[in-house]
Amino acid sequence: MSHLTDKKRVHGLGSAKDGTGHFISQRVTAIALIPLVVLFIVPFGYNLGAGYDHVIEAYSHPVNAIVAILFFIALFTHLRLGLQVVIEDYVHGHGARTALLIANTLFCWLFGLTGVFAIAKIAL
Amino acid sequence: MADVNRGNRPLSPHIEVYRWQLSMLTSMTHRITGVGLTLGAVLVVWWFLAASTSAEYFATADAVLTSWFGSLILIGSLWALCFHFLNGIRHLVWDTGRGLELESTKKSGIVVLAGSVVLTIVTLLVI
Amino acid sequence: MVEFTLPKNSRMTIGKTWPKPQGANVRAFKVYRFDPDSGENPRVDTYYIDLDDCGPMILDALIKIKTDIDPTLTFRRSCREGICGSCAMNIDGINTLACLHGMDDVKGDVKIYPLPHMPVVKDLIPDLTHFYAQHASIMPWLETKTNRPAKEWRQSIEDRKKLDGLYECVMCASCSTSCPSYWWNGDRYLGPAALLHAYRWIIDSRDEATGERLDELEDPFKLYRCHTIMNCTNTCPKGLNPAKAIAEIKTMMVERRV
Repeated sequence: MSHLTDKKRVHGLGSAKDGTGHFISQRVTAIALIPLVVLFIVPFGYNLGAGYDHVIEAYSHPVNAIVAILFFIALFTHLRLGLQVVIEDYVHGHGARTALLIANTLFCWLFGLTGVFAIAKIAL
Repeated sequence: MADVNRGNRPLSPHIEVYRWQLSMLTSMTHRITGVGLTLGAVLVVWWFLAASTSAEYFATADAVLTSWFGSLILIGSLWALCFHFLNGIRHLVWDTGRGLELESTKKSGIVVLAGSVVLTIVTLLVI
Repeated sequence: MVEFTLPKNSRMTIGKTWPKPQGANVRAFKVYRFDPDSGENPRVDTYYIDLDDCGPMILDALIKIKTDIDPTLTFRRSCREGICGSCAMNIDGINTLACLHGMDDVKGDVKIYPLPHMPVVKDLIPDLTHFYAQHASIMPWLETKTNRPAKEWRQSIEDRKKLDGLYECVMCASCSTSCPSYWWNGDRYLGPAALLHAYRWIIDSRDEATGERLDELEDPFKLYRCHTIMNCTNTCPKGLNPAKAIAEIKTMMVERRV
């Protein structure tokens, strides 16, 4: 226990003057995902288990391909922002928290870009 | 929090004594479904990656996703998605400062919980 | 990692069961006890009270226990009418003021704990030092830059109305200590009570420090740990809506950017 005053303890390192950008991005991606989820899940549901040729044909169509690419971008951005909040909430300790936040960012970029790459390869 | 506790004082009981509230339950479910959907998202990306690679690789991925185990995860993900989708809209409305009165949060909570099940079944029937 | 369970020194044991009086209308009260001088863990004592011989509120029962059964039971109380905010505690699973909570509102045994996830000084008394310091940090006073008017700072009736539902807060800490986000991150998250007060000054038409106030709040932890869990509004013994106040602050944060 160190002898900090109550005021010093409350103010800590001061306000980060940040967080609204995160808040807005989380909502914008959420709004984008409302139509994208519906538009993505219908062709995906029909093509799941429909066979290789069907899938390639369906996602060669520009509309399906563009929807899927937009969906992956919005989804993994939204996921990164959401998981960030969960990590900040539950993981205390600066080292572990920073490491997990970095891992989260890299993970979401990896899978997001992989999805975009796969769709582009099928479509082109 | 340790630093806030001066002296070696005990911590009063919290989650184990606090009575469950509907809004607390939907909030927690929103978080769990959000985190859980990571698995569904990864599986879907893998499926597309396989399709873009070769017919043989795709056959493997498609078999995994349409197996009973894959179906279980996907149907679970579908419900999680429906819940997160509906409750997400509820949160977007809240973020405008609307619907935050106790009565309306209770109503919207029940609508979201029931709606997620209905929407899951409807989606399964349609697709 | 956050500790979801209580640390070793905080786990409750079963305490003493006090004698049961004769009477047709006897109720059991299970009350959290902690004696800092004993070196022992907190315990839960059971008291019995004849409701026909006691006032109608939970606070009446606590006062009766202290007067007639066990004078060592320690709790804060003062006005006994919901104005001072002293007797906030966790009753029957929710945070409320003991003086405003009727015994009729509780079914079965009455379980009484201190406000959740707080350092306990003694029995039902939590250490609110940090909570009060958080309130002080939002500058709970009128900040002005214009020269002081000769008579008074004027406010229209409509602008005064905006403070209704905010100024009534008695700082009992029920809301903040009901909030899971405050439980896990209360060292940095200001919590619903402090944020409701912050909003009360932000929308005060006479206050001239709106921008500075928003600057101070704009922080991933101070403000944005609020995830609209709604426990605050559900539990407020004065019927106020801290969740709505926080949502309004968030919309202002967006509004000054776009």
